Amino acid sequence: MQHCFFSRLSLLIFALCGGCIFATSTFAAEVEPAVPLKPDELVHIGKFAITNSMLVTWIVAAGIIVFAQLATRKIQVIPSGAQNFWEWLVESLYNFLESIIGRELVRKTFWFFATIFIFILFVNWFGLIPGVGTIGWGHHDPATGVFHVDRPLLRGGNADLNMTTAMAAIFFVLWIIWAIQANGVGGFLLHIFGPKGETSGFLKLIMVVIFFMVGWLEVISILFRPISLSFRLFGNVYAGESILEAMSNMVPMLSWLIPIPFYFMELLVGFVQALVFMLLTAVFTLLIAQHPPSHEPQH
Amino acid sequence: MSGSIHVGLAAMGAGIGVGLTGLGAAAAVGRNPGAATPILVQAILAIAFTEAIVFYALYLLPH
Repeated sequence: MQHCFFSRLSLLIFALCGGCIFATSTFAAEVEPAVPLKPDELVHIGKFAITNSMLVTWIVAAGIIVFAQLATRKIQVIPSGAQNFWEWLVESLYNFLESIIGRELVRKTFWFFATIFIFILFVNWFGLIPGVGTIGWGHHDPATGVFHVDRPLLRGGNADLNMTTAMAAIFFVLWIIWAIQANGVGGFLLHIFGPKGETSGFLKLIMVVIFFMVGWLEVISILFRPISLSFRLFGNVYAGESILEAMSNMVPMLSWLIPIPFYFMELLVGFVQALVFMLLTAVFTLLIAQHPPSHEPQH
Repeated sequence: MSGSIHVGLAAMGAGIGVGLTGLGAAAAVGRNPGAATPILVQAILAIAFTEAIVFYALYLLPH
């Protein structure tokens, strides 16, 4: 079971651009988890399929854009209402990021980190609204007469590995651009392969060799960052949806009561995962965009 | 026994590691609340590196 689960996950990664879809049959439903790993297709436009996760992503993005535009249409010196909310959100994010990655870097990269945080947060929370995952096309189970949804109209946006991988890939490209802008190509390579610490003479020579080898470990760890970023977010959101589904189906009489504590936990998880994604990307950027320590005054 | 036992072991180790990191970070903030932000950065980094072990186990070994 575990084996099958993970080999299919890795398959999903390779099928990213193709939008490869496996057919779900009612026979497979007994073996498969309650919430399918992949989003379901709603509409086909040529070879391009629109899935229920994409629909949620677009609804949330449109909602954020419209809300932000409406709130800032008539800017007032003393903000109130919606304008106040956005100013509070953006300002607290800015101050928080500034305390972590510094004044210069935050001015350059704030747009990305703020967008990613706000977007992930609202996509995660939108997925908790009742109706997401429960409204859609399905069939009546002949044995019990209970209606079972096979193809929900909406599915949490980050419960789709394509979405989280796309965000991680965009960050990875930006990370390389920012790193090269900060230190140049030579500085970028020196940052990874160059020796650290203060040594001299023969020891310095050994250190150069050792840190060159360490650099290759660093390269592997860097290449795994987009994978761990995307899987962390996907795994948390998908597991949350599975827990809610399982808790709703555990005792049919109490299906309105048992998931409630888990909804609160998912609110928390949605916030924490948005924060972690933003913080990790910010700290990775800070680490590579720092200027070489040799230029700083010695203490 | 079948399946990806190495992934399970890696996940267990990573779970313990993340827990220890959180323990250390919480204790450090308790001792010095003023240093909460630098501690947060260090803890987040350490947790990210610890978690990555699970992904190494997932992808670097054939299964």
